[in-house]
Amino acid sequence: MEDHEAQELEFWRKLDEEGMSRSQMLKRSVAAAAGLTVLSSPGLAWARERGIRIAPPLKGKLVSPTEMLAEAKKEGGLNVIALPPDWANYGQIISTFQSKYKIAVNSADPDDSSAQENQAVQSLKGDPRAPDAVDDGPAFAIQGTVQGLFAKYFNTNFSTIPRFMKDTRGYWTGDYYGAISIGYNAGIISTPPTSFADLLKPMYKGQVALNGSPLTAGSAVAGVFAAALSNGGSLNDVGPGIDWFAKLKAAGNWIPVDASPQTVASGQTPIVIDWDYLNLAYGPEFPAAKWKTVIPADGVYGAYYCQAINATAPHPWTARLWNEFLYSDQGQLLWLKGYSHPARFQDLSTRKVIPKALLAALPPAALYAKIKFASNGQQTAAKNLIAQQWPAKMGA
Amino acid sequence: MSRRRIAPSAFVWLLLAAAYFLVPLIATFLFSLRSNQTGKCCTLHAYGWVFHNGQFWQTLRLSAELALETIVISLAIFVPTVYWVHLKVPRLRVVIGFLALIPFVVPPIVLVVGLLNLYKGTPSWFYAQPWGFLATAYVILAFPYMFFSLDAGFRAIDVHTLTEASQSLGASWPTTLLRVVVPNIRTAALAGSFLALAIVMGEFTIASLAAFKTFPIELEYVNETQAYPAAAATLLSFGITWAAMLSLLFIGRKRGQRAPFLAGAR
Amino acid sequence: MHGALRPDGVSGRRRLSLAWLGTVPFFAYALMFLFLPAGEVLVGAFKGAHGGWSTTNLRELVHQPYIGAYKTSIEVSGVTALLGGATGLAIAYAAIREGTPRWIRSILTTFSGVAANFGGIPLAFAWIATIGTLGIVTTFLKNQLGFNMYQHGFTLFSKTGVEIVYMYFQIPLMVLVIAPAIDGLRREWREAAANLGANSWQFWRHVALPVLMPSILGSVILLFGNAFAAYATAYALTSGTVNLVPVVIGAYYTGNVFNNPHLGQALALGMFVVLAVMMVIYIPLQRRAARWAR
Repeated sequence: MEDHEAQELEFWRKLDEEGMSRSQMLKRSVAAAAGLTVLSSPGLAWARERGIRIAPPLKGKLVSPTEMLAEAKKEGGLNVIALPPDWANYGQIISTFQSKYKIAVNSADPDDSSAQENQAVQSLKGDPRAPDAVDDGPAFAIQGTVQGLFAKYFNTNFSTIPRFMKDTRGYWTGDYYGAISIGYNAGIISTPPTSFADLLKPMYKGQVALNGSPLTAGSAVAGVFAAALSNGGSLNDVGPGIDWFAKLKAAGNWIPVDASPQTVASGQTPIVIDWDYLNLAYGPEFPAAKWKTVIPADGVYGAYYCQAINATAPHPWTARLWNEFLYSDQGQLLWLKGYSHPARFQDLSTRKVIPKALLAALPPAALYAKIKFASNGQQTAAKNLIAQQWPAKMGA
Repeated sequence: MSRRRIAPSAFVWLLLAAAYFLVPLIATFLFSLRSNQTGKCCTLHAYGWVFHNGQFWQTLRLSAELALETIVISLAIFVPTVYWVHLKVPRLRVVIGFLALIPFVVPPIVLVVGLLNLYKGTPSWFYAQPWGFLATAYVILAFPYMFFSLDAGFRAIDVHTLTEASQSLGASWPTTLLRVVVPNIRTAALAGSFLALAIVMGEFTIASLAAFKTFPIELEYVNETQAYPAAAATLLSFGITWAAMLSLLFIGRKRGQRAPFLAGAR
Repeated sequence: MHGALRPDGVSGRRRLSLAWLGTVPFFAYALMFLFLPAGEVLVGAFKGAHGGWSTTNLRELVHQPYIGAYKTSIEVSGVTALLGGATGLAIAYAAIREGTPRWIRSILTTFSGVAANFGGIPLAFAWIATIGTLGIVTTFLKNQLGFNMYQHGFTLFSKTGVEIVYMYFQIPLMVLVIAPAIDGLRREWREAAANLGANSWQFWRHVALPVLMPSILGSVILLFGNAFAAYATAYALTSGTVNLVPVVIGAYYTGNVFNNPHLGQALALGMFVVLAVMMVIYIPLQRRAARWAR
């Protein structure tokens, strides 16, 4: 047994001897040491015998999968939030989880934003409807951590997640990333655009749209970043990106409407700058639109989303089981099937476990080689600049 | 000389109105008939998708019940209040009218966060149920529309004379209110009820943040993820709400009676 | 005609101190479920990003882009309130007046009930499908009449476009709210006016409009508030390039990019001030309009 496991058994014996209350025990365990987990397999069995409700572990590998599943089943379900079924294949991820573990998943508010997810964690605290886990943009994952909304958890595959895509203290982990792409309707567009520079050409008059406004939508901010990279800017300076959009508007190519399935299918927005996983998903979803996707050659910008577990989750064990599932090979490949790059992509491809068909459905890996991610500081600076300049330069 | 034919100017206005309101609906209809495979007419596949979507009907039922509840509570609170204000404290009319603007100004997101925080500790039969928490919030949302409708309605009748006449005939306050006043403001109450119904069938933010699954939430979801079924769902919801309004109208109108005026009251 | 209307205070003054008690249920409800949560806006507007008291957010409001947002919001709301008010009045009158079949009124009122709350993506898309670049009306005009609206400078995705679309819920709202007041216009007055030799215009100017003015004013304020608070439709049409205050509030409160709820609350407080100013203008106007009834 490892050192800390021995210490834990000590705990349990003390509990039995001294007749400590559960809350006292928890307080003690928290005070004991940061790395000390509350239980281990023998301790778990011991506690279960005595009918004590146990808190889940800090590290996934300290509990066997069967035990985790058994504890999760007792809780009776999982609450997730802000997971649209057609966003990076979440629909299939949820249904696979349900059928594999026979645990019901309640998927609420698929259109919620990261801000609303964090808000739900706070507003619904103590309510059985509170979300167990969130899928936040990085800025909100960081903010949520500062606000104490999330629990620390190191899943079994934590070490294979790239360092820049996780919180080393365990509060959140990047789950999947994508790059900004140009999607277009091959039935309406005769000459496909391949770069941001292309989009400025007069043949695309009134045809280029964004998925929302950069003041509210993460993908639109990413669009500005990518445009900046193509127009002489950098991750530190998105001014050229805003200027590029101003040029697009001056050329008459920009159409301010918010791209949606209806505008894509109807042809109102024949070209959409959006995440690759969203644009790629439109293809099979709306065959009428003959939708194709390219990664622009002159500006490859990427961003990832983050998984975090609610510190006051109504189903703590199931939340961690969900986390384990998402970061297992099976979960990661399901994300890949949704055209997004899972966080453990490097690890998966090194071990050659990715089916060729999945890889073939994505744009060539060579294009992704140039991908750039912005740090939190760069994102904040960019957002402030956008807030100042976008309404004036792009306003109607 | 009572006209038995429609006035020409009236005809023109109504024709323009019909064009303005119906053409976008026709456009949506034509779009909803398109096939997902070819993008061209004509198939009912989108409607089939909606009909077979269990969530669509479940959430529709929930929202309809919530709407009814909201209307009943709103009328129970606002009709007596506006009546009393018109009768006894006319100065408060302006005050309440001012307050009625608050729901417009407080963004629903602020209202719902405030409500969730304030009422977190209440029993779960109120807080965790749409019949409690959500209906309460919807009454507040309906408040401006109810107030201004009822206000206009009470303005159009002579409250003092009606009340005095009724009371001089020996009627108590409840009788006066229910059997004399209410029938005279029926149009206004109905208008307010229509608006309340429409609000509940269209309200998204509060239900979303309070994690309830109502009809507008389902519609929004369909709009965000589907193309042609979204148009079909839009039209279906429009048609269903319209039918609900028509039934409200029939409920509010007694058989064979037109909107009554008290003869000689003016 | 209205001799039976009592002037303020004759019967009520002595009982004023007790009469307002009748409104207690309403005020209690409003306090619990409106004022207290709304109070959070007032309080939050004076807080800074780190939780302490600060007027930073409020002072931001007079700078761009926020002041621009207020201007645009007021303009769009004002235009649609006035136009929607006038059009709604005309349509309601057309449906209610003598000579029009009764079923038209039922259809109009019920339709208005639904349309008054029709908004967001469905409404935006209905109009995109009508006068968008590939809309049925656009295509009809282009193919059948050779007139391409978009080449002549028109675009749905602009402030004008937003105003056109907003009328879809403003006009029905007006119809619903003014209908009871129009019911109060007795048929005999129209006949009497005609007998005295007045034409339609004179009837409106000297009889109908004065009678209806208090209700019209109230309705226009309602329409203004309604448009002022709306944002989903404008966002779907223009992704926020038409700079409206509720869109900005949404960005700071619930967006995926910014998270500065106190700035959102300061903006909401600003909205409240605008509406309060409208009410302040409304009160003396309302009194003037009702003057003839005293």
